[in-house]
Amino acid sequence: MTERTTPTLAQRDERAGVAPDLHGRSIPMRVYATSDTVDAVVIGTGAGGAPLLARLAQAGLKVVALEAGKHWAAARDFATDERAQAKLFWTDERLSAGDDPLSFGNNNSGTGVGGSTLHYTAYVPRVQPDDLRLHTEFGVSADWPIGYDELAPYYDELEQFLGISGPTPYPWGPPRQRSYPLAPLPLNGAAQLMQRACATMGIRTSPAPNAALSGSYYQAGVGWRAACTNRGYCQAGCNTGAKASMDVTYIPLAIAHGAEVRAESFVTRFETNEAGRITGVVYVRDGIEQRQLCRHVFLCAGAIETPRLLLINKLANASGQVGRNFMAHTGLQVWGQFAEDVRPYKGIPGALISEDTHRPQSADFAGGYLLQSIGVMPVTYASQVARGRGLWGDALREHLRGYNHVAGINILGEGLPYAHNYLELSAELDARGLPKPRVHFTNGANERRLTAHADKLMREIWTQAGARDIWSFPRSAHTIGTCRMGNDAATAVVNAEGRSFDVPNLYIADNSIFPSALGVNPALTIMALALRIADCFLRRARHGEV
Amino acid sequence: MPADNYPTGTVRALLETDLVTPPTRHALQERLRQPDVTTPRFFDARDFATLRAACARLIPQPEREQAIDLAGALDERLAAGKSDGWRYDQMPPDGEAHRRGLRGLDESAQALFATNFQQLDATRQDEVLLAVQRGEAHGETWRTLPARRFFEELLAELTEVYYSHPLAKEEIGDASMADAHGWQKISLDEHEAHEPQALETSE
Repeated sequence: MTERTTPTLAQRDERAGVAPDLHGRSIPMRVYATSDTVDAVVIGTGAGGAPLLARLAQAGLKVVALEAGKHWAAARDFATDERAQAKLFWTDERLSAGDDPLSFGNNNSGTGVGGSTLHYTAYVPRVQPDDLRLHTEFGVSADWPIGYDELAPYYDELEQFLGISGPTPYPWGPPRQRSYPLAPLPLNGAAQLMQRACATMGIRTSPAPNAALSGSYYQAGVGWRAACTNRGYCQAGCNTGAKASMDVTYIPLAIAHGAEVRAESFVTRFETNEAGRITGVVYVRDGIEQRQLCRHVFLCAGAIETPRLLLINKLANASGQVGRNFMAHTGLQVWGQFAEDVRPYKGIPGALISEDTHRPQSADFAGGYLLQSIGVMPVTYASQVARGRGLWGDALREHLRGYNHVAGINILGEGLPYAHNYLELSAELDARGLPKPRVHFTNGANERRLTAHADKLMREIWTQAGARDIWSFPRSAHTIGTCRMGNDAATAVVNAEGRSFDVPNLYIADNSIFPSALGVNPALTIMALALRIADCFLRRARHGEV
Repeated sequence: MPADNYPTGTVRALLETDLVTPPTRHALQERLRQPDVTTPRFFDARDFATLRAACARLIPQPEREQAIDLAGALDERLAAGKSDGWRYDQMPPDGEAHRRGLRGLDESAQALFATNFQQLDATRQDEVLLAVQRGEAHGETWRTLPARRFFEELLAELTEVYYSHPLAKEEIGDASMADAHGWQKISLDEHEAHEPQALETSE
């Protein structure tokens, strides 16, 4: 959210050609005039925009990123407090329709330089090759127009650059070019409970790959980042720089190579010429409308704001597919309380993983899911108890006095696209005078079967682990789809290189272009896709094809 | 289930130490010092009184001399026009939903006991709230405002306000704010010296 207040110190610094680092110290940043025709404007600085911005800057292009939120200095600005950290969430109101209406805000939508990586749990499994061929394998959803082999080099690059902590070897999926650069993070209470129970049940587990450092780590253009201190507040923002959010990784790299990151700049419109090319991006900063001239636009605002901006501008939608194929991951959580002291606020929340349920033999559904142990912050848990169990009065307070004994497991599972799940513009305007998006979401039979399968299994695991008062909280995670990537201009919005079929200098590089949801957390794949889109663009640019 | 009882004063003591980062201390101490809302800015006096009565049942705090001000936090949020980023499409905007819902509590109270919600005893107030939570309450309001959603939204927000307060954190043994030096002892049944220990565990 762009708050309409007096300019912050960080903002004034930027105008002088500097940006804040982790501690709020100024680092020099090249700045461009809005009348300079820059090579590219990148809209959004999350898992899509930030890596792409760095790649283009490294290639010597003049690039400006427009980010709706603030440029925080995490060590200075982030509190270990969920309420204070609500500032990391996108709070322009969205309307949630359908039989399984989605929560946005702190569930899946960030703002600020770094986007949703500011609040992601940093769980970074790769996809397995068959995730990209769901239609071939099951006759549902859609195949990706690219295969695993095209993503694998980018996964490898990302794992090394971000400093992923993870096991060697990783027990699932194809062999790796290189192992994770850092050893796994330590297991917290929830992970130990899941590990113990799964071992007796014959379910393989492993310490999870996490984008948080198990040891201090150096990368050129970024500098040293300190090791994770086992704060369990990843979803409220990391204040040490150990978590590989974009603000401490690709953003400083991009700035070091001459990119400008223009925070608190909310994009509203595009200007186009007679040839249908975008010539300028219009945005509001400090309540003043501005226009940045540019040769190319990379839209990386996520699966809600990307299609919303295109629909508002009636752009890139000859296919009628913008806003269609909205998906979310099945994300059922199972909670229990244990005799042991768990203290679920400590340690990386998702410390343990199992992908033995990637394609379960007993499945009556397409796709599969992964299992992860989860710690939880107190207010997040309390809120889920209120919503999910409906406890109130003395019963609520009694339950929460067991908070230190709470541990959870959850799934991250496939979710299929359906005609009934889509984003549209509502007639209701927000404080900016723009139509609020309405998102229709209703789980289909596949999601219900997958969730039932997972509910049974997770309850067995938690019973085996010794949990009492087991309960499950149905939820959906992440926003995916709405601007499908494909080979056919009639059914997709962008091609396999992220380029719009309609507007030749518009590219989309975020989770909105995923043709299918994938049975893994999306951040690493968004980054891989963004780097690939940047490389395809640069290759064509060298041949004068853009 | 294990329901621990923790000593009072733990979080307040931690806030005085370097185990808490400056931004964290600032956020929590400000919340501790926050005066109660006596004159609402969003609700009128009648609705605010109904809200306070509902808060006293949804999250009762009989043991506190001064209860954590839940109604005031909701009033402030709505007066500031802040959102958490989404709402149910079948619900009107937050402010309108809460105003209408609180009037709905009175309608349901009238239907059941011929008395406004605020004037009922605790047992009867609970009956009204339970009927609203189950979507079984009577009242004109609930024909157009989904009672279950109203209840869920109200309860979730009050719960978040309550457990964000340092005194509620003391109640549940939450020491998560004292992380300035990180955590080394994170295994089951492991504690740092400054993590509060339960006085007793009741089953």
